Amino acid sequence: MNNVNQESVMTQKASTPPLTSEPVLKVRHLSVFYETPRGDVRAVDDLDLDLMSGETLGIVGESGCGKSTAAMGILQLVNEPGRIVSGEVWLDDSDLLALTDDDLRKQRWSNLALIPQGAMNSLNPTMTIGAQIKDVIRTHETRLSKVELSQRIDELAAMVGLPNRVIEQYPHELSGGMKQRVCIAMAVALSPSVIIADEATSALDVIVQRVIAQTIQQVRQKLNVALIMIGHDMGLMAQMATRIAVMYAGKVVEIADTNHLFTNPHHPYTRMLIDAIPSLTTKKPLKVTGGLTHDPRNPPSGCIFRLRCPFATDQCAQSAPSMRRLSDGAQVACHHVDSLPKFTKEAS
Amino acid sequence: MAMHLKAPRPKSMNRFNRWDTPWFNPLLISGSAIILVIFGMGILGQYLWDTDLAYTGSAPLNLPPYGFEGLRGKEGLIEHPLGTENSGRDMLALMLVGAPNTLLIGVIAASIGMGVGIFLGFSSGYLGGKLDDIIRLLADVTITIPALMILVVINALLREIDIMTMALLIALFIWPSPTRLIRSQVLSMRESGYIKMAQLSGASHWSIMFKEMLPNLIPYLFGSFIAGTTGAILAAVGLETLGLGPQRVPTLGGTIYDAINSAALLRNMWWWWLMPTVLLALMFISLLLINLGLDQVSNPKLRKSSQ
Repeated sequence: MNNVNQESVMTQKASTPPLTSEPVLKVRHLSVFYETPRGDVRAVDDLDLDLMSGETLGIVGESGCGKSTAAMGILQLVNEPGRIVSGEVWLDDSDLLALTDDDLRKQRWSNLALIPQGAMNSLNPTMTIGAQIKDVIRTHETRLSKVELSQRIDELAAMVGLPNRVIEQYPHELSGGMKQRVCIAMAVALSPSVIIADEATSALDVIVQRVIAQTIQQVRQKLNVALIMIGHDMGLMAQMATRIAVMYAGKVVEIADTNHLFTNPHHPYTRMLIDAIPSLTTKKPLKVTGGLTHDPRNPPSGCIFRLRCPFATDQCAQSAPSMRRLSDGAQVACHHVDSLPKFTKEAS
Repeated sequence: MAMHLKAPRPKSMNRFNRWDTPWFNPLLISGSAIILVIFGMGILGQYLWDTDLAYTGSAPLNLPPYGFEGLRGKEGLIEHPLGTENSGRDMLALMLVGAPNTLLIGVIAASIGMGVGIFLGFSSGYLGGKLDDIIRLLADVTITIPALMILVVINALLREIDIMTMALLIALFIWPSPTRLIRSQVLSMRESGYIKMAQLSGASHWSIMFKEMLPNLIPYLFGSFIAGTTGAILAAVGLETLGLGPQRVPTLGGTIYDAINSAALLRNMWWWWLMPTVLLALMFISLLLINLGLDQVSNPKLRKSSQ
């Protein structure tokens, strides 16, 4: 591992991660379908992702586009009636999807942790915070002494900015933000190499959201973990993420550096998203992305977005576009990416 | 007042009065007190009274309680304050031995039933699959079998029954209801966030079931245990009253059986049947009180606000 590279990524948030750096997490052709009486819902369809070490990858997209399902697929925590149809998830030279249950149990959390969606429900109401963190550590590191363990818990609490008394308290005695901090502490307890934050801040009010986001950022920098952030808060993403992947109907349609994505989005769907962000400076009616997503049980032929795309042509109906790397480093899945009109925020 | 605000907070974080806890619930305390007294009778009774008098022929026959006048003007004796029955057993000794025995049968049967219920309920609810189908089928079938009828047949076939066999036989029919109760709770809890997190963090099935889930079910388990005890005592007394209980050990139901058999009602020997009946009623009332009390402890909405 190249420490210098990681340092630079940490300090310059929005800079391009060096192409030479190895991805810590590689997702290849991941498909997760939900079974329904009227056919499979293709929640995640042939997903490819690379997560570089030390970077923050944001995954955005409208509700139901498969962001969370993708995370659950990576963690192999897909609920019935969902199932992982195919794919590989490579973490440190082992394919998580091919591991046995026992091996997976050892890998998960010590290498790949989750900051869950609702921290309110993610803590056991009958156990103190300290006991819960202790359990997480104990299941993976059995040889720690009691003193080391409690020291470790104190450190974790300090790292996420929790007062020490919280360790002795029960979840109902904490506020929502504190519970979220506890969840962050639990996620970093074993210093994993990858953390997935699944809408970790969306259940909180804006002020706490900001503080929690800062906490995540600090912890991430201190431990130099790679972070996948899932959410639809574009403002938050702009501040936190190094790169952003835009998902639509189970597919990634564009991956680009945060700066590029906001200033020069390529894919028509990304343009719609960026356009829908209300502006602080100019007064104009709020733009709503037009059209509805197709029935996910029955995706259209060719390009997944063509039913809502203003630029769609016959070619889009015939073949699905594959991911192409453009000159500015962005990867886009669109046939017409070169011929689209230049993006300006008011237009399009 | 200002002084009070500035006072350093004790380390143990006792923000409230130590005695202001929901556990000091009058219903719960009175119920448990009665149960404890009955159990205490079993333990201490032998030191306070000669419990050998509970066996046949150890005392004069048909004596009324002390201070009452019984059959043909017979006066009660202070040596047998609660009277005796028609084969010369001292009623006080009979009650001192019989009441704890009856309660013990109920508690043992309910404990076994609960233990089995917890194990099967958790396996069935948490692990699911084929195991769930089998356990659910067994529980559903057992719950539809009229327990008392089967027990009557089994007990009539068995030559000698002691307290333990009695409890085991009753436990055979107690386990389905805690199993189903726990299974249903586990099913819904299995989907909750913290169980998902525990699975994700690599905890074993065993530790998820019994470390993460079980403490959350304690109110249900208590309630179910009390209900099980009540049911078990009822079944035990029913069998004993039919004369199918333990023959060599005095029990409340057995005493009622003897009383009925010897026409205690016709002979106006009210002390014979009244005392076991009152004790049984007390037992059921105290179990009910405990259940109501526990309800209030675990459900703050039922509690009156403390001043």
